[in-house]
This record gives sequence, structure tokens and C-alpha cells, in this order.
Amino acid sequence: MTKEFTIFSLALKNLKRKPLRTGILIVAIGLLVSVLVFALSFVRRVDSSIRITSDRLGSDLLIVPTGSRGAAEDVLLENKVKSFYMDKGIIDRVKNIKGIDRLTYQTYLVTITGVCCDVPETIVVAFNQDTDFVIKPWLTKKLGRELKKGEAIVGSESAFNIRLGLTEVDSVLFGSIFKMVGVLDKTGTGLDTAIFIDDKNIDEILQKGKANIKPGQISVIFAKVRKGYDPYEVAGSIEDSIIEADTVARKDIGKGLINTLRDINRIFSATVMLASILSIFLVWAVFSAIANERAKEVGIMRAIGAKENHVVKIFFLEVFVIGSIGSILGIISGTVLSLLLAKTFIILKNLSNDLSIAERISIGILSLFAGTGICVVGALLPIQRIKKLEPLLAIKEE
Amino acid sequence: MSQIEIADISKIYTIGDLNIRAVDNVSLKIEKGEFLSVVGHSGSGKTTLISIIGGIIRPTSGRVLFEGSDISSLNDEKLSEYRNEKIGFMFQFASLLPILTAKENVLLPGIFSPKEKSGAAGKAEEYLNMVGIGEKTNAYPSQLSGGQQRRVAIARALMNEPEVILADEPTGDLDEETEAEIMELFKRLNREKKVTFIFITHNLDLARQAQKQIRMTHGVIKEI
Ligand SMILES: Nc1ncnc2c1ncn2[C@@H]1O[C@H](COP(=O)(O)OP(=O)(O)OP(=O)(O)O)[C@@H](O)[C@H]1O
Ligand SMILES: [Mg+2]
Repeated sequence: MTKEFTIFSLALKNLKRKPLRTGILIVAIGLLVSVLVFALSFVRRVDSSIRITSDRLGSDLLIVPTGSRGAAEDVLLENKVKSFYMDKGIIDRVKNIKGIDRLTYQTYLVTITGVCCDVPETIVVAFNQDTDFVIKPWLTKKLGRELKKGEAIVGSESAFNIRLGLTEVDSVLFGSIFKMVGVLDKTGTGLDTAIFIDDKNIDEILQKGKANIKPGQISVIFAKVRKGYDPYEVAGSIEDSIIEADTVARKDIGKGLINTLRDINRIFSATVMLASILSIFLVWAVFSAIANERAKEVGIMRAIGAKENHVVKIFFLEVFVIGSIGSILGIISGTVLSLLLAKTFIILKNLSNDLSIAERISIGILSLFAGTGICVVGALLPIQRIKKLEPLLAIKEE
Repeated sequence: MSQIEIADISKIYTIGDLNIRAVDNVSLKIEKGEFLSVVGHSGSGKTTLISIIGGIIRPTSGRVLFEGSDISSLNDEKLSEYRNEKIGFMFQFASLLPILTAKENVLLPGIFSPKEKSGAAGKAEEYLNMVGIGEKTNAYPSQLSGGQQRRVAIARALMNEPEVILADEPTGDLDEETEAEIMELFKRLNREKKVTFIFITHNLDLARQAQKQIRMTHGVIKEI
């Protein structure tokens, strides 16, 4: 005996009778959903990268050389290799500003393959271990002790670049030999591609003269604000009294990127909206045609005892099959697209944070609902009309 | 109590300003197990009358009682159940679903019924055998002759084991031999299972084989 004949098999047979039309609908829904998945993944990825970075830096304020806000964000958010410097004396001046709790500073050195160093171009972060609160959480977890002079620890992605993976390898940085003592866990910030050294090494680096830095320079100060003080006000007073420095509040980290993102978001939303309306219209048109074509058949089914509910069920099953197959294809192609294009979009390539499986799954589920929902909305009116068809009248309509 | 009792039934179709009295004040009692034929000129209201009895169209006025309860007051749900379970309807025109095989067409009333469905496939084959097209179970309507399609429709009407079979020119385009076979089948079901039969025909010889004959003219009935 073959498979049992049910309302579902009837719906499937209906879909198979015009495979081209069913196929076009599925492809249309698939395209819509893939745009949706791609847009959601893109926006979500940039957004969470910014959030993670501002959280993980663990500081309320960033103090950078005047005019270097953008460069600092590029380094911290986007893995870009840039350097910028200000006078070390600014540290004490910031310390004296009312509302500052504690602070630490870092100096960014750029390596140039072959000239100074035997690693690919990257940023070497010289940080002050006595005051640091940015790197330490990762360092403690990985190494369990402080970095000594002549030692370096690398960011998770930088390790991949130098093909290290193993510790206890020596590399030449700015003419000095450093022992690579470990790899940090992924932080999700731009610093994942950096190499970290203690800033006690700076004097020796200056002596060798292979780094593009003058004595007494630092790149960035991270500051925590005392409880009860508004970071924005503290930032304001820093900028008022120190003209050589700009500030970035934690909440404003990546603001430029967020604004760009917002525009991209708008473009995506408009595209998805238009595509949705188009799809609803398409589903509506197709199901209106189907309603006319099958008026007689529906009349027959009603006459032999199909309830309105049965008719509705048959048509909605068809809608669900189209919607869910289309959505699943769309989710697959949208995800593939977002993975492929991630390599070509500069903004994505430089972001260190990728989407987690959970995030991808929730985007998938959301898109499945959206794709199927759009089919249902489009088919709603035609199905309402078809369920009200009179049994016999429909049969006479040849 | 009669199985079916129709009281002062009228059906008026309105086309523009024109009112057509397809059925005009008809009253009729039909007992369980009766074998009834309906004859009459084209347009006299035969199809309209049995469609009202079958719960397929609602009368403009009057009542249809099935086993004492008024079917014209049923909601869509209950009326559909009535059509599905109590009535087996054979339509005047081709009424098979083109995308379904003969067997699936026969199974169709079953999927709208809440009844136990195990063994449905076997039963469908049995009925198709009974109407003489057992070897065509997997053929599509387009692959069947008009007469074969009609037989599939007969098997479909029998599928839910209805109490009443309403047949609108069931042997219309069948040869005399097959016509006789189908009539024998009807009579046997009527005899053995007490199924009530009401069939419309233009063939007066066939009509005479019924226990009771009704003639319709201009929407009015006359018992013979
Ligand atoms: N849906 C409809 N709308 C308007 N008029 C209709 C409709 N159905 C039937 N009629 C009219 O009602 C009258 C009775 O039609 P019906 O189909 O009951 O006749 P019939 O006796 O079955 O005829 P035939 O022997 O040709 O099948 C006819 O005049 C027909 O034109
Ligand atoms: Mg007729």
C-alpha cells in the first residue's frame, strides 16, 4: 500500500501541478529572506562588535591626542594599524582633573616587516603593568603572572598571523629579541591582532632607534571615573584644560561607525520593506489566480463535505510549504552570502567580532517567521474569498 | 417519522430583475430505504431540488428535515458534516479533481470526515472494483473516459457509507450494459444496506424501475 492520502498530500499535489509557479514563489521568498538574513547579520555583527569593545576596554573614558579620535577607534574596533602620539606629561594633568578615579596608558608601535621586525605589520601595544586594568584580565587568565622585560604575549588573531600557536618562540621586534610567552584569549576587540609588551621595554626600543617614536610619548590614556561623576562632564573638563587631548566616552566609542551603520541600516530596512511588499503582492496575485482556477474544485470539495476550515487548511498548508521552503533556502543563501561578503566588505573584514552560532540561529528563526508570515499575509484575502465559495454554484462555473 | 421531510420548499434564483422559481412550494416525504426516481424537462428544477435535499444549496423558504431536524438551520460546520456523512452525491457534470487519481478521488470524502481512516485505501479499491474499474485505480481523470469518470464519482459517493444517495443522471453517458450494472448495484445497496436512493434521469424506462416516481414541471412535483 502507498502512503496514506491526507489533506497534506492534497496540498502537496496542488503545489506540484504548477511547478514553475510554485518555484517562482519559493525563489521570491528565498531572495527576500536572504536579504533579510544578510542585513540582520551585518547590522548585528557591527553593532555587537562595538558594544563588546566598549564593554571590554573596562574604562569610562579614552583620552587620545587631539584629532586622533578616529584613529583610536580604528585601532580598537577595526583592527587597523595606526599610530598616534601625545606627551607623557598629559597623564599627570589628567590625573588632577576632578572626578578621575584611576587611569592607565598605552603606547602603540607599528611594526614594519623586514625593517624592524620579523612579524607581519601589526600593532605592538606597550602597556603599563603597574596601573593596567585593560589587558590584565586576559593576561592573568592566560599567563598567571606579569610579563617580564623581553617577553611578549600575542592577541588571539595575531598568533594566527605569526603562525605561532606555540609559546617559547623568539621574534625580533624593533631590533630586540622578544620571547613569545603565550597567546591571549579572544577579546572581541581590535586588540586581538596586536602584540603586547611591558612598557619598560620602550627605553631599549628607543635606543635601537628602529621604532617611529620619540622619547616621552604615549598613545592613549584609559580612565575610570569616580562614582557619582558624569563621564561626559569629566570629559568636558579634560578637554577644557588640556588642549592637546581629545576624549571619547565609553558610550560614544564607535559613534562614527554607529552613525554610518544607521544609514546602512536604513538602506537595508527600506530594501527589506520594499521586497516584503513586493512578495506580499506576488503571493496575493498568485493566490488570487489560484482561487479563480480552483473555484470549481473547491465547490466540489465543499459539496462532498469539506468544511470551510478544511478548505482554509488546504490552502494554508500550501502557503506554509512555500513559505518555509523559501525561507529555509533564503536563510542558507543569506548566511552563505554574509560569510562570503564579510571578506569583501572592508567594514566587516576589520571587525574582530563574528556572530555566534546562537546569534545566527536566532536570526534564522526570525527570518523563517518573517518569510512564512509574509506568505500568510499575502494569501490571507484570496483564501478568505475562496472559503466563502458556495458549493454548487462553484461546480456549475465551468 | 420520515427520514427526509421537505415542507413548502421554494428556491428563487434572481438574475438581474428576473426571478426564477426553480423549485416552487414543494413538499415531500421520503422514507428510509426508499428507491425514488425524478424525471422532468430540462430546467424543471430537478437538480435544484436534490441539491436542497443534499444540503448543497439553501432553499429560499421552507424547511428540510432530516430525521426530524432542520438542516437549513445548521451552521457551516454541521451542514458540511451532514453532506459528508449522511449524503452521497453524484453530480450531473464531471466532478472529479483533475490532480487526483481515481483512488484518491474516491478517498477524498474520507479526509473531510472525522471517522476512523484505517482501511480507507482498501475500501476505496473495493468500491472501484464494484463499479468495474478496479484496474484503473491509479489513472487520472484525464486518462479516463466520461463513463469511467462517472463510475469513479459513484464509488466516491459510496465511500463514506451514506444513508442517502442523491444521483443526478448517474448513468447519463454510460452504455446500456453498464447502465444496467450500475442500476443493479444501486438496487443491491438499497436492498442490503437500506440506503435511500433518489436519482434523476431522462430515461423513462430507468425511472420506472424505481418504487416511486416523481415528475417535475416548472418547479412543481407530481407523484406518479
Ligand atoms: N445558479 C443559478 N442561477 C440562476 N438560475 C439558476 C441557477 N441554477 C439553476 N437555475 C435555473 O433554475 C432552473 C432549474 O434548474 P435545474 O438545474 O434545477 O434544472 P434541471 O431540472 O436539473 O435541468 P436539467 O435536466 O437540464 O439538468 C432553470 O431555469 C435554471 O436556469
Ligand atoms: Mg439538472
